[in-house]
Amino acid sequence: MNEAGTIDVTGVGKSYEEGRIRALDGMDLHVAAGEYVALVGPSGCGKSTLLHLIAALDRPDEGSIVVAGHDLAHESDLSHYRARHIGMVFQLHNLLPTLTAVENVQMPMFELGIRSSERERRARRLLGLVGMAERERNQPTQLSGGERQRVAIARALANEPGVILADEPTGSLDSTSGLQVMELLESVCRERGATLVLVTHAPDLALRADRIVRMLDGRVLPDAREREAAGFRRAPGEERRLRALFSRAPEYPRLPDFPCAP
Amino acid sequence: MTFLSFVLRNIARQRVRTTLTVVGIAVGITTVVALGAVAGGLRATAGAMLRTGGADFIAAQRGSADLTFSTVSQKDWTAVAGRTDVERVTGVLMNVSRLGSNPYFALLGVKPEQLALAPPKLERGQLLQPGHTDDVMLGSRAASDLGADVGSTVTLLGRPFAVVGIYRGEMPLFDGGAYAPLGIVQQLTHREGLVTALYVKVKSGSDPRAVAEAIESGSDTLTTVSSVDEYGKVDQGVEAIDAANLAISLLAVLIGAVGVTNTMIMSVFERTREIGILRALGWRSSRIIRMIVGESLLLCLVAAVIGIALGVLATKALLLVPAIESFLEPQYSSGLFLKAFAVGVGVGIAGALYPTVRAVRLSPMEALRHE
Repeated sequence: MNEAGTIDVTGVGKSYEEGRIRALDGMDLHVAAGEYVALVGPSGCGKSTLLHLIAALDRPDEGSIVVAGHDLAHESDLSHYRARHIGMVFQLHNLLPTLTAVENVQMPMFELGIRSSERERRARRLLGLVGMAERERNQPTQLSGGERQRVAIARALANEPGVILADEPTGSLDSTSGLQVMELLESVCRERGATLVLVTHAPDLALRADRIVRMLDGRVLPDAREREAAGFRRAPGEERRLRALFSRAPEYPRLPDFPCAP
Repeated sequence: MTFLSFVLRNIARQRVRTTLTVVGIAVGITTVVALGAVAGGLRATAGAMLRTGGADFIAAQRGSADLTFSTVSQKDWTAVAGRTDVERVTGVLMNVSRLGSNPYFALLGVKPEQLALAPPKLERGQLLQPGHTDDVMLGSRAASDLGADVGSTVTLLGRPFAVVGIYRGEMPLFDGGAYAPLGIVQQLTHREGLVTALYVKVKSGSDPRAVAEAIESGSDTLTTVSSVDEYGKVDQGVEAIDAANLAISLLAVLIGAVGVTNTMIMSVFERTREIGILRALGWRSSRIIRMIVGESLLLCLVAAVIGIALGVLATKALLLVPAIESFLEPQYSSGLFLKAFAVGVGVGIAGALYPTVRAVRLSPMEALRHE
């Protein structure tokens, strides 16, 4: 197992628009190295914000985030941290439109001083891994949505990071393509012992994770069974809030209770 | 894929815009090269004038707007020649007038015995001889223009002269001119007892600069010129063309920089999301800076190469005008080409400054949210 993939989020808060929007509010989360965690919750609950903070694309207002032993508040070179430890898969592939598949996969390797020939060799190997060897000379506009996400997955793996952060990677794909992309993402992460944090609205995809972390209003929602074991009683109105949480996405079935370790 | 090929790929995305930007900068650099070559040619002509006759410096009329308008009296000539620290003083009367197709025919009046001390490079025939007042020596270009050779007779300022020698002039102005005995030229131009300038050679062991300063401080009418940089004392033309060269070059650089800035701002703005993606993939700000400055520099260096080629062609085209060809030989020095490249680099960096600052200030999250 790759020990470089641990994530510790402690008391993290993040606000936007001069504090009017509280995206995260005392967020705590521990993800073990090699674990596959699905973050679920309604839109605006802070899932993507959390992912961006872990990727050091933004800074928290308070709290600490430690990834692979790196305390991001004290990390002097966040670019190197992103290049070395984080692989990102976005909802909209985010491939560079003028580059071919093999060139796109090489992009994260520039900052690690990898030689041009080695970059190309490694990119070809990764494209082979995601089943895109035949399309390596194609530009994104010549690829289907699923193929683009495969290239994006190959790019995320370029520097063999310990953590893969996937922000609704199947959100723009049909269900068949989405499932294929997720199976691929899961398998490459498991093979490499990489931690996978997935943000999704799709319960069927969330159910594939080792653990589901449910979020509401910028916090992790405690699991019902865990709360009862701890002697908590449900607060007045919480039942209604929980129902509202899932009624905002009526097309998704209610999620069963999963082991939850906030 | 190398970083350079990535930069090149970015430049090639907007071909029309890139081409127009390159053309804009290239025109500016063409101006810099063409004006620089012309200014260099004028300075070289001035330098050749100073070196004529192996002199250390020249003495001419103080405050003269153009050397050919200078008038030095016999009294001043005698005074300078009488100094103990001066070896020889050659008085030259220069008359510039139209002759045939040459609007700047320079007839140089000089005493034959003095011409013999520091003669021009003789191609054929002989030098002027003392007492032979009907003789003339023609520059090879003038001989060609007039269809004359040794033994021919040519009419200058309305008087017939026998051509006794053909010389190779150092610059077009001299090569297209002639030497005739001083007394005859003074008579033909109604300037008896006067010369245009004195070419002074100091005695061995004397400091030419000190002698020049002594002559200048001891005379109310004379000024001395020891180098091209001092040429403005007797001729405003070189200074004027230098000033015009500087002003137009600065303008060209400014216009070029504005054009590149505009192009790069548009380019960076259009690629805001891509820059965010690159930051998310771990690219440092320094690499983003290198990417944008590299694109700008490449544009400008291509423009510099094109501008230099066009500049050389433009000055060659200028020489098709006989009036210009007769007195100007453009000078293409390595310094001029380096200056053109320096302008390209300067414009490239200046044009990339603001777009780079904008791109680097953008947070990765803002950039990723950009549509």
